[in-house]
Amino acid sequence: MKLNPHFLSIVIMASAFFSLAAQANDLVVSIVEPYIDFRTGPASEYPIFHVAEQGETITILKKKTGWYQAMTYTGQEGWVSAEQLGKTIKPSGELLYVPTGSFEDYTKRTFEFSAFGGMLENMTAMSVAAAWNATGNLVAEATYTQALGDFSENKLWSIRIQHHIFPEWTVSPYLTIGAGGINTRPRSNLVQSGDEVRKSDFYEVGAGIRYYFARNMVMKFEYRNIIALTDRDDQEQIEEFKLGFSVFF
Amino acid sequence: MVKRMKFNKNVVLSTVVLLSIGLLNAQVLAQSSSVKSAAPSMQTNTDQPPALIDPNIERREINESDIDTEDLEIGIFGGFIAIEDFESSAVVGVSLAYHINENLFLEARYAKATAGQTSFEKLSGGAPFLSEAERDYTYYNLSLGYNINGETFFTDNLVFNSDIYFTLGGGSTEFGGDERFTISAGAGYRLLFTDFWALKVDVRDHVFTSDIIGIEKDVHNIAITLSTTFFF
Repeated sequence: MKLNPHFLSIVIMASAFFSLAAQANDLVVSIVEPYIDFRTGPASEYPIFHVAEQGETITILKKKTGWYQAMTYTGQEGWVSAEQLGKTIKPSGELLYVPTGSFEDYTKRTFEFSAFGGMLENMTAMSVAAAWNATGNLVAEATYTQALGDFSENKLWSIRIQHHIFPEWTVSPYLTIGAGGINTRPRSNLVQSGDEVRKSDFYEVGAGIRYYFARNMVMKFEYRNIIALTDRDDQEQIEEFKLGFSVFF
Repeated sequence: MVKRMKFNKNVVLSTVVLLSIGLLNAQVLAQSSSVKSAAPSMQTNTDQPPALIDPNIERREINESDIDTEDLEIGIFGGFIAIEDFESSAVVGVSLAYHINENLFLEARYAKATAGQTSFEKLSGGAPFLSEAERDYTYYNLSLGYNINGETFFTDNLVFNSDIYFTLGGGSTEFGGDERFTISAGAGYRLLFTDFWALKVDVRDHVFTSDIIGIEKDVHNIAITLSTTFFF
């Protein structure tokens, strides 16, 4: 492959500029363990092509999942595992803090994103939720659910508060309370005069159990009871069971 | 002779690079010296003599949170989708993925297509099944994916990191005035040209229950797409 030298020189100059600009913000750490492995890619499957020794300094360039791209003083670039990088020291002499998805990181989480699959009454329901961990015990959460049944399509959103009774447990129960809205649209083939969307507000209470199982992942099982404030004389009660999966940051 | 030319070109290139680095450094030095020259003028106001060795070493305050994290992958894709009973159409969409670890990722996809006509509509020449608006086919899904990491060797020296991945997810499809829960499953190949830029080829089946043509049945709509994605 032939490259245009002018283009090449522009690229090199640009990269020189960027590397210089980056150096001002790059983190340089020293190796205190006997050695550190450099891999060709950000996964344990990739081969080790270089080893940096004790006493050397390496520059951390970026992070991809649990892997850090680092550069040796000779300019070798490779990927180092979070586990190995966590044993290096910063210029201040402190150990570099590297989140390895330990239980400690889990208890210190700030944001959490979840996806669920489940049943809303007898309809298949999918939910997504974003949560903010306020105190460890109290968590604020926004949820969105879509339930597509044989007779209607339902969209639910809610804002709620979770109370984690024992946040320090790996398997931990929690209670929720919240409010939201539901949009129900009957299937078009069942309605003669176009779509008539029904909108109602609702309150919800629920309980769930969460299990921290690996790195930054949590499994959840949840039940909620929804009281929809309909225009009709009767309030509508809806039950939902769901099983989900969360990642936290 | 040819080799010599090449060497010269390299020398020229490296001088240019060195010069550019030198110039940039000079600029940085000039900035820092202007800061330094401002400092003594402040000190002259106090009666204390300037310290021979300044004990206050300025440490660069860089911490772990400054490390650039590239766990998110955003992309656009285009390709073909075979819509059961309604021909195959072009499909375009966007995707956003979060890489949980080196193997697992969560991916959200949203795509649009316009369905064609059934063979009945074409052959009979009669009234169409669906209105133009009802032919709009949009779907989204949220999938959990698993990467099998590897490398692709185009030649001995041209090597790229790549992976083969499998996805399984749920979502919905809006078509024919109806919105249906849709299960999607597929496999793909991701070729990483750089650490942050990839090309993906993806084959995915979308299964949902439909009664658009009268009888209720499970339809399989297979999409073959090519995407370009960026990690950020």
